[in-house]
Parts: sequence; C-alpha cells; structure tokens
Amino acid sequence: MKMRAFAKHLILMTLLFGPASAMAQGEPDWLVDKLYGSGKINTVIAVVSVILLGLFFWLYRQDRRIARMEKHGKE
Amino acid sequence: MKQWWWKLLAATLVLAASIAALRVPIASAIVHAEPSTLRPGERHEVLFTGYNTRFAPGEVEAYLENGGQFVPAGRVDVIDSTHARMHVFVPAGLREDMSDLIVIAAGSGSMRFTDAIHNPVKGSGAEENAQSTVPRGKRDGYAFPTRSLLYESIRNLNFHVPMWFTMMMLQTVALVLSIRVLRSGAELHDRGAAAAVQVSLLFAVLGLVTGSIWARATWGGWWTSDAKLNGAAVTTLIYLAYLVLRGSVADHAKRARLAAIYNVFAYVLMLLFIMALPRLNDSLHPGNGGNPAFSQYDLDDSLRPVFYAAVLGWMGIGAWLLDLRYRLARIEIRHEDARIR
Repeated sequence: MKMRAFAKHLILMTLLFGPASAMAQGEPDWLVDKLYGSGKINTVIAVVSVILLGLFFWLYRQDRRIARMEKHGKE
Repeated sequence: MKQWWWKLLAATLVLAASIAALRVPIASAIVHAEPSTLRPGERHEVLFTGYNTRFAPGEVEAYLENGGQFVPAGRVDVIDSTHARMHVFVPAGLREDMSDLIVIAAGSGSMRFTDAIHNPVKGSGAEENAQSTVPRGKRDGYAFPTRSLLYESIRNLNFHVPMWFTMMMLQTVALVLSIRVLRSGAELHDRGAAAAVQVSLLFAVLGLVTGSIWARATWGGWWTSDAKLNGAAVTTLIYLAYLVLRGSVADHAKRARLAAIYNVFAYVLMLLFIMALPRLNDSLHPGNGGNPAFSQYDLDDSLRPVFYAAVLGWMGIGAWLLDLRYRLARIEIRHEDARIR
C-alpha cells in the first residue's frame, strides 16, 4: 500500500518537473524565465512558498498521527 | 505563559525577520556600462545602467577610477531613472588597464562598478583631466547589498540558511539524547532522539529544495556537483537511514541502543560533510573553499541583524515542532503501556 503511494508520488513528480528539466538545456523555458525575471524576486517567492508548504505538510502529518491515536484510544 | 514565552518569541522573530527579509530595499548599484573598452587619449560616450537607482537630471556625477586617479565626466545626460550617458575624455597614460566606474547620485550615494572599463594602453599615470579624490555621496536608509547574479534573491539568505542552522540544532539535540540513551537506556530519550531526527529531516528537505531553487536562479542548475550540496544530500540520507534502522528493530531496548550508537556516528558524519569537507574543496557556497564562514567579504553588515533574527527564530520554531513531536511520543508510550496492561 505504502509502496503504491510512493510510486504514485514519483510519477506525479516526473510529470510535474520532467518537462522543465528536459527543456532547461535549450531556450530558457517559462519557469526559468519566471525565476530570473524582475531582479529574481520570484526565486524568493518560490523559496518562501516551499517553506510554508513544508510546514503545512508537517502539520498534516501530525494531524494524522493524532487522529490515529484518537482511534486507538476509543477501542 | 511560563512555557509559552519562547514559542511566542520564536514566532515573533520569524515574523519580523521575514517581513524585513522581504521588504528591505536592495541597495542601488551600477550593473552595466556600454561600451566596455575606451581607448585613452580620446573622447567617449558611455551608457550606464543602474539598479534601483533614481537618476535625476543634474544630480548624477560620474568618474572613472584608474589606479587611484579619478577621471571626471565632462557631462552626464540622464535618460531615465536607471539609464544615463556620460561624456568623458579619457586621458592618455592611465596606469592600469581596467578602470572602475563610479557614479554618485542623489539618494544612492557613490556606487562603484568594479572593472567596468578596459583601457587598452597602459602608461605611468594620467597626463591631464584627472583628480586624486572624489566627493563621497550619501546613501539613504537601510538596504541589503546588491550583488551581481543574486540581486533580489539575496533575500533568500534569511530563509534558506536558517533551515540548515535549525537542522543542525535539532541533530545536536538528538545527539545529546542519544548519549543519554547510551548511559541510561531510557526509552523516552530514544523516542526524543527519533523525534528530533524526524523534525531535523523536515528542515533538511526544506533546505535542499530551497537551495535547489536558489541554485537554478544564480548558478544555472537545479543541482551542481558542489561539495556542500552533495554533503547535505548525503547527510539527509544518513539520517533517513537512522529512521529506517530504528524502525527495523522490534525489541525496544535493543532498538534504543542501536539507534543511539548509529546516531553518534551520523552526527560526526554530518559535521564532516557539511562543515569540514566543503571547506577543503572548492565550493560555490560563500565561506567555503578554505575561507571561514561569515568572513567580512561574505556577509555584509546590513544583512546581519535580519539574518541572525531569522536563524534564532527558526531554531525556536524547530524546537517548538520538536516539543510537539516529543509530547506526542510520550502519549504514544503511555497508550502502548496501557494496551499491554
């Protein structure tokens, strides 16, 4: 079950980021363009977003842990 | 309130540092000059481009600096707030073959564009049209330095680097707890060490991903074979292996001891891969390749207050996450004990 979830994750990541890295060799693609644009401020936005998403993901994980414990506690 | 003050402090520090990190202006600078080769003994026009400048007619002075001699511009025509054209007579006999361009503008102070101009012929000093000093311009307000390649992304220093500091702090906590496991064999300390490693891995992943984004915008690749990058990645894998190893032993007492021994080695490897090896090798990271970190050249004074606040704040947030995780682990133990009984 866990393996399957991991595989799904991997496929999703490849679909999301595969094309971007494939295009990185030739003309600058839209992503790079966005990262370099207006004094590279978008790089900062991306970095801050990643940190917030990471914290939200962690919150979600703890939420699941607590939910699991609550379920065990009732049994 | 007694247990809350440091959490409140951490949140306040992170909030204040993040606002400052995003809002403090980037200092104005000269980033481009065209043409870049000026033959001495001739009259030239140089078009220069400013970054975050507010050029206004009559308020811009420009000089070429060559070996301690300053060549003033005869006239500066301001085109717009970031473009101006200097008319300059470059005297014969300049000492060096590279000249700096110095622009003094109202509000921006004096801005130096190092090695902006190439002078093909060298001599023993300018024969005319040179002076030995320039007026010092005054700069308005507090600003982060402008660095070529970085520009606005210098703000990332206050987000990306604290992730690693927090990771190292949490791994140090894990080390202390692991040593206590080795001395006492207490299962609670083992749980605490595991919790610290788990939270530290969150920050490691955040550090890797944010670093990768920053690398793409400054070094041109999502991943470079930089000693520090590979060291950080290996460290992350080593600590992942700690969790795998710990999860693979069923007996609690054995698990605690084995994990603690592994963790001591993991910490040493972390220091080696993140702190030691990048300094012995060439690295794209500032402060590596032989130099101590935070030298005067790498971390500008204007960056320090915001950066230190961010580091302290994020360490506090890391400690808060660990606190939550540790308390959860304690409740889990109690539940397990209750079920066994």
